[in-house]
Amino acid sequence: MTTETTSTRRLRVHRFKRGDDAPHVEEFDVPMGEDATVLEALRWIQLHGDPSLGLRHSCFHASCGTCGVRVNGRERLACVTKIADFSGTITVDPIANLPVLLDVVVDMATFFAHYPDPHPIVRESGFLPEAAVADDLDGHERYEDCIECGLCLSACPVAATDDSYVGPAALAYAQRLLEEPRDGVDRNALLDWADQDAGAWRCHAAFECTEACPSDVRPAQRIMSLRKELRHRRSEQGREVPEQAAGEEAT
Amino acid sequence: MSETRAPFDRERDAGVEEILRGRRQPAPVSRKLPGPIAWFDLRSRNTGHLAFSLNRVTGLGLVAYLYLHLAVLSQLLGGEDAWNDFLEVATTPLFLGLDVLLVFGLLAHGLNGTRVALVGSGFVPNRQKALFWSLMAFGAIVLVYSALHIFGGEA
Amino acid sequence: MSGGVDTAPHVLIVGGGGTGGALAHDLTLRGVRVTLVERGEFTSGTTGRHHGLLHSGARYAVNDEESAIECIEENMLLRRIAPGSFEENDGLFVGITDEDMAYLPSFLEGCERTGIPTQVLEPAEALRLEPNLNPDLKVAVRVPDATMDAMRMPLRFFATARANGADLLNWVDVLDLDLGGGVVSGAHVRDLITGKQTRIGADIVVNATGPWSEQVARMAGVDVPIRPSPGVMLAVRGRLTNMVINRLHASGDGDIIVPQRALSVIGTSSWVVSDPDDLGVPADHVQRMVDEGSILVPAVREAPSRSAWSAARPLIGSRDDADSGRELSRTFKTIDHAVDDRVEGFVTITGGKGTTLRGMAEVCADAVCRKLGIDTPCATRQTVLLPHTAAYAA
Repeated sequence: MTTETTSTRRLRVHRFKRGDDAPHVEEFDVPMGEDATVLEALRWIQLHGDPSLGLRHSCFHASCGTCGVRVNGRERLACVTKIADFSGTITVDPIANLPVLLDVVVDMATFFAHYPDPHPIVRESGFLPEAAVADDLDGHERYEDCIECGLCLSACPVAATDDSYVGPAALAYAQRLLEEPRDGVDRNALLDWADQDAGAWRCHAAFECTEACPSDVRPAQRIMSLRKELRHRRSEQGREVPEQAAGEEAT
Repeated sequence: MSETRAPFDRERDAGVEEILRGRRQPAPVSRKLPGPIAWFDLRSRNTGHLAFSLNRVTGLGLVAYLYLHLAVLSQLLGGEDAWNDFLEVATTPLFLGLDVLLVFGLLAHGLNGTRVALVGSGFVPNRQKALFWSLMAFGAIVLVYSALHIFGGEA
Repeated sequence: MSGGVDTAPHVLIVGGGGTGGALAHDLTLRGVRVTLVERGEFTSGTTGRHHGLLHSGARYAVNDEESAIECIEENMLLRRIAPGSFEENDGLFVGITDEDMAYLPSFLEGCERTGIPTQVLEPAEALRLEPNLNPDLKVAVRVPDATMDAMRMPLRFFATARANGADLLNWVDVLDLDLGGGVVSGAHVRDLITGKQTRIGADIVVNATGPWSEQVARMAGVDVPIRPSPGVMLAVRGRLTNMVINRLHASGDGDIIVPQRALSVIGTSSWVVSDPDDLGVPADHVQRMVDEGSILVPAVREAPSRSAWSAARPLIGSRDDADSGRELSRTFKTIDHAVDDRVEGFVTITGGKGTTLRGMAEVCADAVCRKLGIDTPCATRQTVLLPHTAAYAA
């Protein structure tokens, strides 16, 4: 946010409070510098327009994933989306396929409820493959790419009509745990979890999730990998079954 | 969880309970469009959603065609005259046009379905857009060829 | 403590940053009934915006011994109570110039004095560990810095407090404090989710609002010596290092680079403002991040920017203290306004840094429990926290 004002932009913001019959839209004229982000514009409204506007944000640098909204219908992180990228009136809506908490904020409880347990979020770094590791460390660590922003679930056309679908984020996460096994993660239990109707099979390859993801997680590709694994497992199980049955009878 | 909480003191804690109660009110799920209309929403969308929507539309279309086809075949029960009457209608340009539409539906649905199956088996998942358009280009060629033959009148 | 007709005392915490969350967790474990109100999302104030450095304390070893000791103790503790929430890659203090080298002896001495483990590395060794460092570096000192997710780590305190019965109410804005006869007995609030106003009564109200401490204290008619001191941060694309990289000198601008997933965050700078809601992002400060950061890691200069933002530290000092903010101490303070200002039922906890949230909460909870006549000891050193996802449980 630069301190000089270059232009006034009109924002059309989705408003809803619990107890309202229906959501409505409010327009605000916001003076913004040329580098301003959607989040800065929304915060201006909060400070100078309407203090009852509900906003969610935390890190301001696309790492916490809390500021997801739809700008002119497209899923974006408000903190790194520049106002200058849009012309005319800018519409801000909450991300889709989750209950509205207030205004442009959604209730993330169901999003997190879809994930399998446990939920480790630190992985092997993999960056700077040429870097040595100090003797007393096992390797370099880093956080998983996924910032749990929910933009993928919002973009998914299947999630738009099926609330039981666990969603791209949860499936991509499961695939990461299989790709890079970690303590406390039961491989078979994870595959069982993915092998449900509302799991990896519910995806229809629209790839909208990968398009929407601000963190290069590529959930759609990971779901395809998951399917491959599940198919392998099924065919293996298919071959094993007669021997297994014999084994069980023997014991 | 509630065992560690103190008993509710009505006067002191009323505000908290009020807030909690207020939050339990129903809230709408945020949707871009209500219900299955969302399947056909192509605003600001990418190739993948186009493919998805195409498959939904053609899927419905093909199912509808199935019923139509059965209705058509039932004309056979009416005997030779009824069938000949039908054939006259079936060779009108409008009907031939519908046949072309049918071929389009079969090609679009089948080829996109092929893309989904290939990508799901690990075949170029990172190039799925290119795969979609190549298959559609192939389908377009077959469609034009079929349309020429359908309208061209070859037996 | 409680029994019979007595109900457990009710503490209302104003402010849902790391300190508020850690305090809610601490008090709940001691059997206190806790309500926390935060006007936005948890950690949406200063807490979520910092670069995510889990300080070893080495940065303060020379000039602020108290802070340094607090940091290294809490650093080690947090790794035990919040396992899986840190990239435990350590950090390097990198010396580039002769001036930096002159700082080295007092740096090592300060670390030794404050109990911060160090390991001096030759340039070649340092470059093997971090190939993107300035190849002209003269020395690197390895310290137990680590990276945390600035939102997700503190969120674990909220998750645990909530599971243990605390009411953590985000999107509730405090409009005014209930002050009568020199006693604060609650707050008038607006729930942004319903738009409705209501009153919450409490035995003690704790002001844990960081740089907004002054504003909230004024509602109780008292003053606290807090100056909001913002600094700029810049996130560039590319994970340029795995370790935290610090400049080996007395604190300056742009002298820390923290890896955050596939980004590198360079921070920070310092100035003083009066309104913590209106910080601005001065372009010259952002440029300074690029300039100083590229001295440590040359690739910073060409790396595309992902975001530039400001965050306000709550610095304790008196009103006449230095103008840049850097000279003010980074330690924290619990203020019992009954003692300082003869206003009963109101306590402020302020100052500090992300790394010391648990320690700050312990000191404040001790003070609050003393006021309430509770002698249950602190249990947060031994309690392993729930994962951050539990904070979102329905």
